Amino acid sequence: MAKIAYYPGNVARAGASEIEDTIQPLCKALNIQLVEIPRASSDGGNVIKQATPKLQDALVARNLALAEAKGLDIMTTCATSHAIMCNTSQDMARDPVYASTVNNLVARTSKVEYTGETQSWHLLHYLVEEIGLDKIRDAVKNPLKMNIAAYYGPDMQREGACAGDDPFMPTYMEQLIEALGGTPVDYDSKCNSVGSTSMLTLEDSSLAMTAAVLSDAIQSGAELVVSACTMSHINLDSYQSKAGRVSGKNTTVPVCHLSEMVAFALGFYPDRLAQLRTRVRLIGS
Amino acid sequence: MAVVAKVWIDEDCITCDACQDICPEVFEVTDDSSFILAAVRTDGVFDRNVGGAPLVGNLGTELGDIIIEAAEACPVEVIKYELVGDGAAEDVVEAAPAAVEAAAPAAAVAPAAGVSDALNAVFAGDRSINILFGSQTGNAAGLAEKTAKLAANYGLEPNIVDMDGFDPAKLASMKRVMIITSTWGEGEMPDNADAMWNAINANGPALGGVHYSVCAIGDTSYDEYCKAGHDWNNKLAALGGSEAFPIQECDVDFEPPWKIWVEQALPLLACVDESGTLQVELLEEMKAYGAGDDDDVVEGDFAPGIIEQDTLTITLEVFRYAPEAAESGWDTLTCAVPGHATVQDLLMTMQREVDGSLAFRRGAVAGTPTTGVRVNGRIVLADCTQVGDLAVDGGRVRIEPLPGHPVVRDLIVDTSRYESHRSRAEPWMRTDPREGERLPSGMAMGTMESATATALHQAGDVLSFQLIQAMSDTLPHDPHYEGPGVHFQQWLRVLDPRTSEKQRRSIMTSLQEKDGVWSEADHASLMRYGEDGRLAARSLNEARGALLNQSRYAGKSGRLVKWYGRSVKWSGNVNETTLYRQVLGPLGLVSNVFSGVSARMALAFTRNGGPPIRGLQALLVPPAGLGRIPKMFNGRVENYHEVVSLFNEIDQRF
Repeated sequence: MAKIAYYPGNVARAGASEIEDTIQPLCKALNIQLVEIPRASSDGGNVIKQATPKLQDALVARNLALAEAKGLDIMTTCATSHAIMCNTSQDMARDPVYASTVNNLVARTSKVEYTGETQSWHLLHYLVEEIGLDKIRDAVKNPLKMNIAAYYGPDMQREGACAGDDPFMPTYMEQLIEALGGTPVDYDSKCNSVGSTSMLTLEDSSLAMTAAVLSDAIQSGAELVVSACTMSHINLDSYQSKAGRVSGKNTTVPVCHLSEMVAFALGFYPDRLAQLRTRVRLIGS
Repeated sequence: MAVVAKVWIDEDCITCDACQDICPEVFEVTDDSSFILAAVRTDGVFDRNVGGAPLVGNLGTELGDIIIEAAEACPVEVIKYELVGDGAAEDVVEAAPAAVEAAAPAAAVAPAAGVSDALNAVFAGDRSINILFGSQTGNAAGLAEKTAKLAANYGLEPNIVDMDGFDPAKLASMKRVMIITSTWGEGEMPDNADAMWNAINANGPALGGVHYSVCAIGDTSYDEYCKAGHDWNNKLAALGGSEAFPIQECDVDFEPPWKIWVEQALPLLACVDESGTLQVELLEEMKAYGAGDDDDVVEGDFAPGIIEQDTLTITLEVFRYAPEAAESGWDTLTCAVPGHATVQDLLMTMQREVDGSLAFRRGAVAGTPTTGVRVNGRIVLADCTQVGDLAVDGGRVRIEPLPGHPVVRDLIVDTSRYESHRSRAEPWMRTDPREGERLPSGMAMGTMESATATALHQAGDVLSFQLIQAMSDTLPHDPHYEGPGVHFQQWLRVLDPRTSEKQRRSIMTSLQEKDGVWSEADHASLMRYGEDGRLAARSLNEARGALLNQSRYAGKSGRLVKWYGRSVKWSGNVNETTLYRQVLGPLGLVSNVFSGVSARMALAFTRNGGPPIRGLQALLVPPAGLGRIPKMFNGRVENYHEVVSLFNEIDQRF
């Protein structure tokens, strides 16, 4: 059984509980043991970093150190959280003096230290590289049979955060969609930002960015958009009608999170999948 | 105290920088060798000074000991000097090169094997060639440097001469002269050539023994095309000089015509012998000598050697847009290209062999900032990015215009919005008076700690600010946002210790304004474009930090940071409810209710399934702006006091 520490990110156990609902059975089905880190805190969400980069790095290093103390890598379902962990890990590796400063703070307050051994995984990369598409394909109970557009967002699409995938023309999620019995839809803006971190402060821009991604996916034939980012999922889904009204674009398309999509295909929550299929059929593309 | 009369550099300098570190007033280390600065020499030339020009004024007294220290520190002992004794007699400390001892410079080139006696005779004696440049933006200076590199192929010893401060009377003693000059404004000389031009007009020397050729850079869209070059050409002829090769005019794309000129003019001037006679009958042999073995020639060593890569078969897709018909689409073709070909090479080949109407911006030298395009999702400069770095054999190369700018035609974008934002932002240097030093020449010069200079350079070491501007995903959706490329330049100016306080305050105010640095919705869109994007995002984040301190967390962005931090400090978790309440306020939340966001959640119209009560809470207990209502009160993480301690240790403002 594969064993990995689990970091839910900032909202999976609050505003985005559908992820928490689905990640647990998904991992059980694929023989992945998720190990909780009860002491792990928020990673600062790239918001605290604006005031004090060192504080955000210390929060993240502490989380990584807690996983390291268990001898495990760490996995998350949120692209933003994954990117934040990668950033801190890389910044500390690049600058040993800075790493030592951060580690001293973490050690003094929390009695743990991050040596750089534990690495962050996003669920997508973990599934494709560590579990394998063949194993996933074999575990599918409800093939998706939909045209699905993958949304990666910009956070994890860069060197050092996207595992072996191409940072600029990623295909991992498309491969996964195929393995789950869906049909991937290619579209240009799958790595563009939807401004989720600024929805509260720059609503107009964020809505316009959200509408651009959704309408591009729809025009390319998507019946469903699947998001690898928890925060972006909120923009793409909850704010889609508002984004459509503000931009004048067609943004109406069902959206789900990566962990939901995989869990549905593996046979969990058939009622939710049925609801999703109904919406796909009603809304169409 | 030792008094140095003259100093020069022998061959085989290893460019270790030791001499420059010890005595920067005299030595400057270039890519090839240490040079003696023009300002300290009586001949005003910047080269190794193998001709032995004496030091100016009493510089030999002032810097004698330091020059000797530099010579002694030279690990390969190529720094030579002559001492002046108490009397007039000179004390030659080390054997001076033949070029210094002889009244006339000795042969710079050893007799070449396999060439005629006549050509070997030409190689004997003075082989200097002086390449003067008049440059406003650096293009002519760059060409002068390239010309100098190629000159060595013909057994010439090039001296690059900045026209600024050059005494035209010295032209009379030169046998071979090349002039490369741009034209500025309405047919004017570039700034650095103005004084020399006035001087030669006021009192021009007789140039009877001078062979010359002129390369003129201009722009055909101006009435006075290449006028400065023609003025020089006519003036040198009027003073009795002999035009070895006719003037070459170069338009905006100046490199190809310059190449034609330099390949003809250089061998001709190389055929000028010791007596000043042009041995034109040796031209073909000189060309063959200069070409050498084809395998060794990579257009001069100014260009990095090309590492050949295997040929790739690719599917090339190029974005096309015709403004007349307002039609856009893709041209697709399959082709085989060497992996080391640049994107620009691909486009030029396509333009030449497939469709002459393809429009794109071409670079003058590798790394021209205006050649930005998007290729396979990457934002790159077309003239320095190799196909092999973008695609594999059998892969696809998809070339699009630079994002964030309106497309004019095909791959050409209109950057005027960027330019106008930049112009308004005024990210250029405005200084206060400050402490400095004086050069030996008497010129005042500001100084900076080397660590500061290095840090400043590293902070802004990116290929092009225009590319940074194009990395933003926000910019296309906010017409007023000034953009990260502009703000990055402003922030670098804030970091620069030379910047005046007034300008620093003005920039900080500008960055805090509505279309300033807070208008970028997501720095992640910059960070994904490699090291340049990471550098820009980091700088802009620093700018935000400084603004937060200055404004004491004012505005929505300030409140978001403040309450995000407080929320985490209170429990170890983010409390979304707190954030919405504090950032949007009650009215902002109501807008979500009326815009349907809350209703969609409550009815479970979008988010999938889940216990209905979660959705219903959204109606019953505003603020439930996003999705299902988040937990009103988060539980604390275990040992949450550790998180509090971290906050207290690092930042107690929260």
